[in-house]
Amino acid sequence: MGIARTIALSAALAAVSCTAHAQGKPAAKDAVLYFVWPQNGANIKGAFWCRFGLRNMGVTHAGDDFQNSGHHHLLIDVNEPLDVKEPIPQDKSHLHFGAGQTEARIDLPPGKHTLQLVLGDAKHYPFDPPLVSDKITITVR
Amino acid sequence: MRDKIRDINSARNARDSAPPRMLTPRRLAAIVAGDIAGYSRLMEVDEEGTHERVRRIQRDLVDPTIAEHHGRLVKTTGDGFFAIFDSPVEAVRCGIVIQQNMQGRNASMPRDHWIEFRIGVNLGDVIIEDDDVYGDGVNIASRLERIADPGQLYISGGIYEQIKNKLVCGYQSLGDRRVKNITDPIRVYRVLPDPAAFSKSRRRENILLLLLSCVLLAIVGAAFWYLLPHPYPTMRHQASTQALPAAPNEPSLLAPLARQAAPPPQPPQSSPSVAPVTQGAAPPIQPAPSTAPAVKQAALQPHPAPAAPPAPAIREPEMITVRGGSFTMGSNDDATEKPVHQVTLKPFAIGRYPVSIREWNECAAAKACPFEAAGNDDAPVTNLSWSDAKQFVGWLAGATKKPYRLPSEAEWEFAARAGTQTRYWWGDRFQSGMANCKNCGDVPSAEQPIKVGSFKPNPFGLYDMGGGVNQWVEDCWHKNYHGAPSDGSPWVEGDCASHVIRSGSWKNGERYARPASRDYYDTNVRYPTHGLRVALSP
Repeated sequence: MGIARTIALSAALAAVSCTAHAQGKPAAKDAVLYFVWPQNGANIKGAFWCRFGLRNMGVTHAGDDFQNSGHHHLLIDVNEPLDVKEPIPQDKSHLHFGAGQTEARIDLPPGKHTLQLVLGDAKHYPFDPPLVSDKITITVR
Repeated sequence: MRDKIRDINSARNARDSAPPRMLTPRRLAAIVAGDIAGYSRLMEVDEEGTHERVRRIQRDLVDPTIAEHHGRLVKTTGDGFFAIFDSPVEAVRCGIVIQQNMQGRNASMPRDHWIEFRIGVNLGDVIIEDDDVYGDGVNIASRLERIADPGQLYISGGIYEQIKNKLVCGYQSLGDRRVKNITDPIRVYRVLPDPAAFSKSRRRENILLLLLSCVLLAIVGAAFWYLLPHPYPTMRHQASTQALPAAPNEPSLLAPLARQAAPPPQPPQSSPSVAPVTQGAAPPIQPAPSTAPAVKQAALQPHPAPAAPPAPAIREPEMITVRGGSFTMGSNDDATEKPVHQVTLKPFAIGRYPVSIREWNECAAAKACPFEAAGNDDAPVTNLSWSDAKQFVGWLAGATKKPYRLPSEAEWEFAARAGTQTRYWWGDRFQSGMANCKNCGDVPSAEQPIKVGSFKPNPFGLYDMGGGVNQWVEDCWHKNYHGAPSDGSPWVEGDCASHVIRSGSWKNGERYARPASRDYYDTNVRYPTHGLRVALSP
């Protein structure tokens, strides 16, 4: 009966509150964020599918605060350093993939561009230290 | 299944050689498949009665439960359904609620009339189309459902991994199971408590009863708590005077109505400064019609004096009526804003300010919005997904019995331009102090934008149309205006996984504060700068 009560109570609690505030969480030590495609230095014609790779951590939805998981952000031609105390900005050069997407169709104007991935936590904050991919440079013809 | 998850995490590097799919966006989703066990037997026993009961269950239980848990019903078959959820936790909760409810419904029936669902939940990559969903993630969910005993909820290992620390239920591992047409075995878990276990063991019955009573108690307690403080009438008037700096001397009883009807951009027979006359290169409109004459005009209109305000006092947003007309939508400043095209709109009303935390929290208090927002009551509400915004306008429309809704993208831009064709409503050059944006003036960007209406209104009398908070509109995202409607209606065809946000925010630079600027975000994802503004059909 005691167990039953505990279970019932925690179930009720879980049902009522499910918002944990999380920022500055450390990422998994051996986690690697990388581009499956394109590779650094790639020459691309027109729009392309950019594919995101993540090892040793899981991809989940923004808002879901699971251990060892996050969601992708793609930074296009961003030079400013990342602020771990702020949510990852949302604008035309910081694309968010909060629905758990692992690829995106990217359409850039011709020229050289840099791409970098940043993993964000449930509240869109970078991990601390940030889990980022290498910044790659591609040329769109 | 485990292979599948590995696949998602590494973005399917193995299948990279496959040609990219252009029009089939793949999503990670929790898929819930449910069907009624022994449907044909039930139909044999009592065809009409069963059909009617199943329909009622679908309408009264399944549909609302899915909606409550932020899921989407994608398909119903005669005796079953498919729904997708962004969150595995919500998906499983939804399954539990349905099963528990069915248990209660069956209790009063003879055993051979029981309607029992089998439910399977799986996490997987799916392809979503308008009225269906594909992919082996879906097949696995439906296989799980097939192997589940009546009244039970089976989940895959992928779901289990996501929810085991979040949902306190019993989970019974059933080991790896081979299922039809899926190569790899799937790890299967049974979620407890469930109705079958309920009828079998007294112990479980106790748990279930306790759980139910706890939930009931919580609901009753919460309802009581929210019903207790009822200072609406006084609060309302306070708020209306606060929120209306332009007309502080109005008799407060009339205030809501007058504001409601006040159409500032319609000075009596005044000439070119009116919205609809904006064909072609309209001259920048002098922001002449201040609110004062408008209010007077509204007061002159033969509005019957409100005999008695309707009982549940809901604070309606202050609305500005915008006369319809034609305008040139879009710009050449960004690829997403092209082509520049002509749009003709019908009249509509739009909120003078973005929705504030105070307004949002009334919806939250009514349990119609999903969370209570913290912060200054006069600050715009933020951290909303498009679905949250829709819930708010849905509640407002229901509570006021007026057709409140989100504006269409065209209506938003028309209202933001307020008759101008320049880059900003005040001209082609940015001026500091005109909008709440990043590095745009003396106001340092803070955690939350300052209260609504702190900057100058545009010629229509609208505040924060550019900068402040991003505002969700009704339209699905399209990457440019090719094929856009020209009648001002929302553009909802196509892939609706993301919706349009307008206005830029206090964290975006000045170019995002242009009336033509547009951006998008995932429909069901919250972000700290996203809020809304309401519109109202006449």
